[in-house]
Amino acid sequence: MTALLDKPTRIDHVVRLSGVGKSFGDVAALDGVDLDVAPGEFVCLLGASGCGKSTLLSLVAGLDKPTSGVVDVHSGRPAVVFQEPALMPWLTAARNVELPLKLRGIGRVEREARAAELLDLVRLGEAARKRPHELSGGMRQRVALARALATTLDDSDSGAPLLLMDEPFAALDAITRDVLQEELRRIWAQTNTSVLFVTHDVREAVRLGQRVVLLSSRPGRVVREWTVGDGGEDLAHEITGELRGVISSHARG
Amino acid sequence: MPEVDHRALEAGLDALDAPALVQQGPSGLRRFAAVVLPPLVAVVLIIVVWQALWAAALWPEWKLPSPLAVAGEFVRLAGEGKITETLWTSTHRAVLGFLVAVAIGTPLGLVVARVRVVRAAIGPLLSGLQSLPSVAWVPAAVLWLGLNDSMIYAVVLLGAVPSIANGLVAGIDQVPPLLLRVGSVLGAGRLQSARHVLLPAAFPGYLAGLKQGWAFSWRSLMAAEIIARSPDLGIGLGQLLEQGRLLTDMSTVITAILLILAVGIGVELLFFRPLERRVLRSRGLTGAPA
Repeated sequence: MTALLDKPTRIDHVVRLSGVGKSFGDVAALDGVDLDVAPGEFVCLLGASGCGKSTLLSLVAGLDKPTSGVVDVHSGRPAVVFQEPALMPWLTAARNVELPLKLRGIGRVEREARAAELLDLVRLGEAARKRPHELSGGMRQRVALARALATTLDDSDSGAPLLLMDEPFAALDAITRDVLQEELRRIWAQTNTSVLFVTHDVREAVRLGQRVVLLSSRPGRVVREWTVGDGGEDLAHEITGELRGVISSHARG
Repeated sequence: MPEVDHRALEAGLDALDAPALVQQGPSGLRRFAAVVLPPLVAVVLIIVVWQALWAAALWPEWKLPSPLAVAGEFVRLAGEGKITETLWTSTHRAVLGFLVAVAIGTPLGLVVARVRVVRAAIGPLLSGLQSLPSVAWVPAAVLWLGLNDSMIYAVVLLGAVPSIANGLVAGIDQVPPLLLRVGSVLGAGRLQSARHVLLPAAFPGYLAGLKQGWAFSWRSLMAAEIIARSPDLGIGLGQLLEQGRLLTDMSTVITAILLILAVGIGVELLFFRPLERRVLRSRGLTGAPA
């Protein structure tokens, strides 16, 4: 028992990118990106198309290797939520959430209990036995979130839980998006997970994040970052101006 | 926003946005009228036309016997135990051949789908083989293996394996790449990914391949049985058919054709159709109506 308490959890970052670059052939997607995410921190990565947001997320998720620089992740297995829920259509909601636990070799009884807990967390306890096609888009995305949390929450022996989200609400209608943003804030506060959230929507970034990092496009570099405090409306205005500047710079090139 | 409001809002959205549940199919009489009646009427019509043609005596009796004569022949053959014997001989050959074809075609399809070099090498050949009528293999199989059971199985395999392998390849090609990505994000290694993501995702395509593979097994078997006759081989449906021709006994020929059809339709209705409907329904894909 003491071993659990003595676990060296005194890390000051879950993710640390130092001078990270990534090229595909001659095209540089990312160039010299430095970025830290602290344990339990909610960071929004903001940028226009082609800024390499998704590439950066793939690097952190370990799906890809950087061309230069160091990606340092202190999390057992980072969880990823994509724009599409990408649930397995042949599995029920509960079995989808169980899948990462099953892959890790966790026994059936424990798996089922854990999945039920996580579905309750996203308020879908009653939809556990439904198949993806019986759920609405917002519900599917919540199942995907629960599944992602199953990936990372229990596998944090070697670091803190980390949730990577790649424009997860972009395909949803406005009301559903609004509700899910609220939901995500609540779950984040409840689970103490670090979140790296990619979006091109300034309002979403300001509403969700504690910190907003703006990336330039082609290649992606960190332009500026803001800590979100009070007065979100002014901040959103300021960030929008900066983002517009970044985008217009491509017209001259 | 107060917590309770938010919870109610979300529950309301869930209730409104979730797709309406698929309504149950028609029941009882309506189901009978919609599903069972049409094919029954079609069969009765065919028999009526047949009877009328026979009554018109356009062709001699040995070319077109009456439906009643065929029924009589069926009863006679059944009385001799010949129907059961031929049915058993042929179906057990076909089922055994089909199962072996599944055992060979599945790993073959998996390798062709996932290993680029193999696909480049034998992919086109495999699709080409599908269009080669398996009866074309009979002479070669007789010369290589002689007139025995292995020759018959060889023909069945050559007919069925390409379909099954191609079905699996098509199924795998249609798996959304995002699902595989999700699989690896969730922690699946190569083998785990194949077992928990790739194969289940490819299952509908694979099932279509199995269905076609069964049809090809059955057809190839009939072709082989009609051509290959030998005391060692036993009497299957194909041989019964050929016997009817040699004896100029059209009633036997028609009886054999009807039996061959019945097995084909029976396997489809009792096995493949329900399986396919279950698989497609559970994934929210619209299967065959009712």
